[in-house]
Amino acid sequence: MIDRRTFLALTGTALILPRASLAADITPEAVFNDPDAPAMGNPKGDVTLVEFFDYQCPYCKSNHPVIEQVMKEDGNLRVVMKDWPIFGAPSVYASQLVLGAQSMGKYQTALEALMATKGKLSNAQIDSVLSAVGVDPKQAEAGYKANRKQIDALLIRNDAQAVAIGLRGTPAYIIGRDVYPGAVDAATLRDAIKTARAA
Amino acid sequence: MIARPSPLPPCRALWVLFLAFALLPGLAVAQGFELLKPSGAGPLPPDEAFQVSTEWQDDGTLAVSIAIAKGYYLYRDHLTVSTDSGTEPQIETEPGETKDDPNFGTVEVWHSHTQATVSKITGPFTLHWQGCEEKGLCYPPQSREIKPPAQLATAGSALGKTSQAFETPDYATTNKVAATALTKTASSADTPLRIFSGNGLVAGIAAQGGWLLVVASFFGFGLLLAFTPCVLPMVPIVAGMLGAQGKGLTPLRGLALTGTYVLAMALAFGLLGVVAAWSGQNLQFVMQAPATVIALAVLFGLLALSSFGLFALHLPQGLTTRISALKGSSGSLVGAALLGFTSTLIVGPCVTAPLAGAFLYIAQTGDTGLGAAALFALGLGQGVPLLGVGVFGAAILPRMGVWMTGINRAFGFIFLGVAVWLLDRVISGPAVLALWALLLIGLGVWLGGRDRFDAQTSALRRFGGALGVAALLTGAIEAIGAASGATDPLRPLGRLATGSARDTQTGNLTEADFLHVETPEDLKSALASAQGKPVLLNVTAKWCTECATIAREVIPDPQVQAALRQVTRIAVDVTKTGAPQQALLKSLGVIGPPTLIFLTPEHREAQGTRLIGDVTAPALTASLKEIAQ
Repeated sequence: MIDRRTFLALTGTALILPRASLAADITPEAVFNDPDAPAMGNPKGDVTLVEFFDYQCPYCKSNHPVIEQVMKEDGNLRVVMKDWPIFGAPSVYASQLVLGAQSMGKYQTALEALMATKGKLSNAQIDSVLSAVGVDPKQAEAGYKANRKQIDALLIRNDAQAVAIGLRGTPAYIIGRDVYPGAVDAATLRDAIKTARAA
Repeated sequence: MIARPSPLPPCRALWVLFLAFALLPGLAVAQGFELLKPSGAGPLPPDEAFQVSTEWQDDGTLAVSIAIAKGYYLYRDHLTVSTDSGTEPQIETEPGETKDDPNFGTVEVWHSHTQATVSKITGPFTLHWQGCEEKGLCYPPQSREIKPPAQLATAGSALGKTSQAFETPDYATTNKVAATALTKTASSADTPLRIFSGNGLVAGIAAQGGWLLVVASFFGFGLLLAFTPCVLPMVPIVAGMLGAQGKGLTPLRGLALTGTYVLAMALAFGLLGVVAAWSGQNLQFVMQAPATVIALAVLFGLLALSSFGLFALHLPQGLTTRISALKGSSGSLVGAALLGFTSTLIVGPCVTAPLAGAFLYIAQTGDTGLGAAALFALGLGQGVPLLGVGVFGAAILPRMGVWMTGINRAFGFIFLGVAVWLLDRVISGPAVLALWALLLIGLGVWLGGRDRFDAQTSALRRFGGALGVAALLTGAIEAIGAASGATDPLRPLGRLATGSARDTQTGNLTEADFLHVETPEDLKSALASAQGKPVLLNVTAKWCTECATIAREVIPDPQVQAALRQVTRIAVDVTKTGAPQQALLKSLGVIGPPTLIFLTPEHREAQGTRLIGDVTAPALTASLKEIAQ
């Protein structure tokens, strides 16, 4: 028999739910191994780096070569790029197309192409950048539409996780249990990977 | 590199979430949660990096001034205004520095300070801004809702300049910004996609498992809520309804009656959603108007009289038949439905987190269907335990002979109790205590508290007599309480005791130590006098049973007490349900009481601290600590 106090406690719990729903699911499993979030680098790597980013965020892009470099030289690092479109409509559009390009097997190509741009983007610019590397934007959009439910849910989940973890903005890097807000240099990343590997 | 990113409060929320979801199949939350710890120093909170202040000008325009912290910048093309209704105001910004380097492409940004003017303001609008830290971090868009001062002053007096301190919805919105969620996408590639803020409870669950899961979850929330003070008052009503059935009451009949009651209750919840979508109002709140409450109290009074068998003597024929129809077998299903419907709207009007969540969802997405379905499921869930009362109550209640009259009378007292409890919302406290005293004394006499017993008196009658004496005594104490001006029926002698208790040993803060405000103007001046201090806003009402529980069981907690002393305490009383109270609720983004809002010393709501519904001492302490720091 559950007494009233327990029940109140239980209900109390239900009542903080709006907060909890923001706190979302930020177990390491959910953050590092979201089944819908595509991974780059070594898919079987022993350490995962998660980056919350936006395709229009200048620092995400200027710092991206550092991530690439560390990922390559490490060889055992799994990288999950989590779209957190905070710069408005073009960012959302870019994320949708790149995630949609998974169906064409061109996720990473599309991502790298957009990460190599500078600053602000328009939808038209996004289309032309993708076309230039052989990712047909119409086809990518079709890919997005075919998996729309899944991709929209992923974007919502990313946002909820970012908020729940308390991220201030983009980029944010998570390695092991450590959160690095803002751009980081290669040495810091290597240290963080070493720490995570030792843990 | 100054402030650490705030390490969110999720630990508590999460175990709690786990508990709550343990009862909901299909929503398994992964176990083994560990807090991801932020490492190193982090960037400033967005409201410190960009300090936005606004001032109304005499010509009706709004001057916006933004102080930008050193090492941060703001994008010119992201300082914008938008509005949901009417014509968009115009914002005039000053030219910025052109950042034209390999990292940025060409954009205009401001450093250190900028100002802008918003003109052609016809109604409330939202100011948006977005910027970055030079070292390498960009913030999500920030925003603030702005209301022209004329709309704030309900009395219609021209306020002229409004100071920044009471840019009303400020607390309600700025901090939700981070929760931007993508909820809608456009069909064509060229249509700009919109980002909505505030990813609430419903949208969150829907994203995980579609509408079915939403409905199932809300049913589960309902079950959890069924045992809160919000729903408990419905138990005697259901029992009374069954008791009034008399001989015809079988478990099946009991089930049919309570089923109808519960269904009507759930329908009323669904209706709340529809009305909310249509009018933006919580109907429950509107239904607390004194006239409605008194009418319902009278109805319960009549039901009681009918249970006492007094109709033939005192009431006109037409009314008698109508009231009797509520208890007679033919009309009883209709009666049950009526009771269920009114119970939701008037008897149990507490706002709970799921209710607020569903309202928020409807408001943000306009998706009345799913919102109303969720609320309907919530109502059903709340009613399930009542079905138990229906079935087992019918099995337990005796159905023979003199007993029947006795049972009927007993429920008469219960109905009268409900009537007095309802009246508590509209008449003064001591008068309510006097009514309780009368009711208890009447009950005591009826139970046999004044009867004479002899050697032949049965044990049962003696037992009844004992209960009667107890009721008489309690009634007397309530009467003394009423005479002493006490207001809480559960602590009738409180006023006689406080003098010594408060001064000498406890010194506890009570609701009386909250600054009492009832209008936006009150709140404004209360906030002005609390400048630079963290503030707790306790949105409460006399008719809110849950609020009373918080005052009695949560506030006295020693840890809560300690934390309360660190903040300025303001009680936002919405017992009256007039225009000023509704303006208050709207400005605070509150669906109804009980809601606790926590403001930092800058008088901004701290993210993720708001508490709605049944509040526990640990949750309250945690939220208080967050603003007191």
